[in-house]
Amino acid sequence: MLAVMIREFRAYFQSITGFVFMGFFLLISGFFFTLMNLLQSSPDYTSVLGSITFVFLLVVPILTMRLMTEETRQKTDQLLLTSPLRITDIVLGKYLAAQAVFLMTLVITILYPILLSFVGRIAAMEVIGAYIGFFLLGSAFIAVGLFISSLTDNQVVAAVVTFSALLFMWILDWIQQAVPSDRLSGVIFAALLVTGLTLFVFLTIRSWILSAGVLLAGTALVVILFLVNPQLYQGLIVRVLEWFSLLERYNDFSRGILSISPIVYYISFSSAFIFLTVRVIEKRRWQ
Amino acid sequence: MIEVEKLTKRYGQHVAVDDLDFSVKRGEILGFLGPNGAGKSTTMNIITGYISATGGTVRVDGHDVLEEPEEVKRRLGYLPEAPPLYLDMTVTEYLDFVAAIKRVDAKEKRRSMEKIMDLVKIDDVSGRLIKNLSKGYRQRVGLAQALIGNPPVLILDEPTIGLDPKQIIEIRNLIKDLGQEHTIILSSHILPEVTAVCERVIIIHRGKIVAGDTIENLSRSLRGSHRLAVRVAGPEAEVLGKLRSLAQIKQADALGSREPETVDFYVESEGDADVRRPVFEAMSESGFPILMMRSVDLTLEDIFLQLTTDEAIEREEVQ
Repeated sequence: MLAVMIREFRAYFQSITGFVFMGFFLLISGFFFTLMNLLQSSPDYTSVLGSITFVFLLVVPILTMRLMTEETRQKTDQLLLTSPLRITDIVLGKYLAAQAVFLMTLVITILYPILLSFVGRIAAMEVIGAYIGFFLLGSAFIAVGLFISSLTDNQVVAAVVTFSALLFMWILDWIQQAVPSDRLSGVIFAALLVTGLTLFVFLTIRSWILSAGVLLAGTALVVILFLVNPQLYQGLIVRVLEWFSLLERYNDFSRGILSISPIVYYISFSSAFIFLTVRVIEKRRWQ
Repeated sequence: MIEVEKLTKRYGQHVAVDDLDFSVKRGEILGFLGPNGAGKSTTMNIITGYISATGGTVRVDGHDVLEEPEEVKRRLGYLPEAPPLYLDMTVTEYLDFVAAIKRVDAKEKRRSMEKIMDLVKIDDVSGRLIKNLSKGYRQRVGLAQALIGNPPVLILDEPTIGLDPKQIIEIRNLIKDLGQEHTIILSSHILPEVTAVCERVIIIHRGKIVAGDTIENLSRSLRGSHRLAVRVAGPEAEVLGKLRSLAQIKQADALGSREPETVDFYVESEGDADVRRPVFEAMSESGFPILMMRSVDLTLEDIFLQLTTDEAIEREEVQ
């Protein structure tokens, strides 16, 4: 795992992607630091971190687009997958390398609050909390990018799809406000989920019997839940969409609150996507 | 050392490898021969655990590749069809990386690295970026990669592709030397290579084994008669008539003229009979000088063509 990570980390700086990522990130953060702290003589650094979360939309695709795509394209995945390494080691190594580049960049920006501390009082603990949240948020996005890069062998496709996926997560908050929240739409939504799951099962294993079983069990579950606790369907869509709302959970950090639940959320979100990446690579061998 | 049983790989409707059975003994060099798309690379990819089979089992040193992939991979060195090189690394960096992922310990690595680089003759480019290397050098770096960690089994997919003739001979000799300590499966569509290096050959076509034996046995079983190529200075019809009138000759054909005022003939004898003397005497009687005479044995090319061209297979089935 360490070997893969070191190789990947070096590769970032052998090509220009590492420098583009760092340069762009530092440019945007420096710009906002100047605008919000220096020019306004404000010591409120946590809100700078809160304002620049949009930068992930642009820089995470740069960081993750080549992770798995290059291996498939250059056929070096043949070396990795026929070595005694486990797939989890390979994927984790790559994830950690991307995370390391991100962390390194983040460490440079610590200069800003240090500069501020010379001329004013800053709440050190709040800044540290905000940095932890910011790092975890970025890591969660990197996990999404890593997953998408395992789906294709084309860097451009990986970058565009990653950008779209992150953009979707961004506008999720707005979508949430627009979706209907009555019981009927909740039931319809649950029915759609069951249909989708059935379709997925059918397309992956092509067994009529098992797919029918999934459909029946799913429908039964939806009906039983409705009879037992119809309240559950009130605002179901909103609640499901909330699972994917990474930004919503960052608000606490930028207010200076370090709570456990978003930290756990970010880490499990990243783990889920790392796990999915491993599954995708595993599955490709069977095709 | 390697046992393959009922190996099958399907891609949707297409059957790439169809019910393959073979085994390789310790210290043996097995040649894997077949036209492009026969299923050689697919089979090798399955043995090394890169892709999974649809059915059947592969065992290396008693370990199943599906159940204990890490045990199997620890024993394998694999050179795929396209050497899996990171172009942005230098040769030394790359080989260090390979040693790290193969978990070769530092002491062993220091000892073997120089030996391997010397063996495949890449020590003069050790500090250069792989993307700046020629095809031949890249191929050799790929081979070096397979040798790292001194695995007992080597799987080499077309190892001499892209090399110049001198390098090809060097690599072949290297593989022969390696065969003394390693079990090797080598694939190729270059037939002399297989004859030069391997003790045993498996010919596959459309995912099936069409023949598997030592090279001598293969050519003996396919050779029913002796054949001669003869170049005679004389009129075609007359010479042909003379040749056909000889008792031990099964068949004689004119091949046309390649040298002015001469005609080439193809003479096939009955059984093991040596017809060189009767041919000479018949020609000298008529006053037609023989300018060339050479026996044509079935080469691996002929075996290969006989076994893999569809006409040959169909003819067999009709008979």
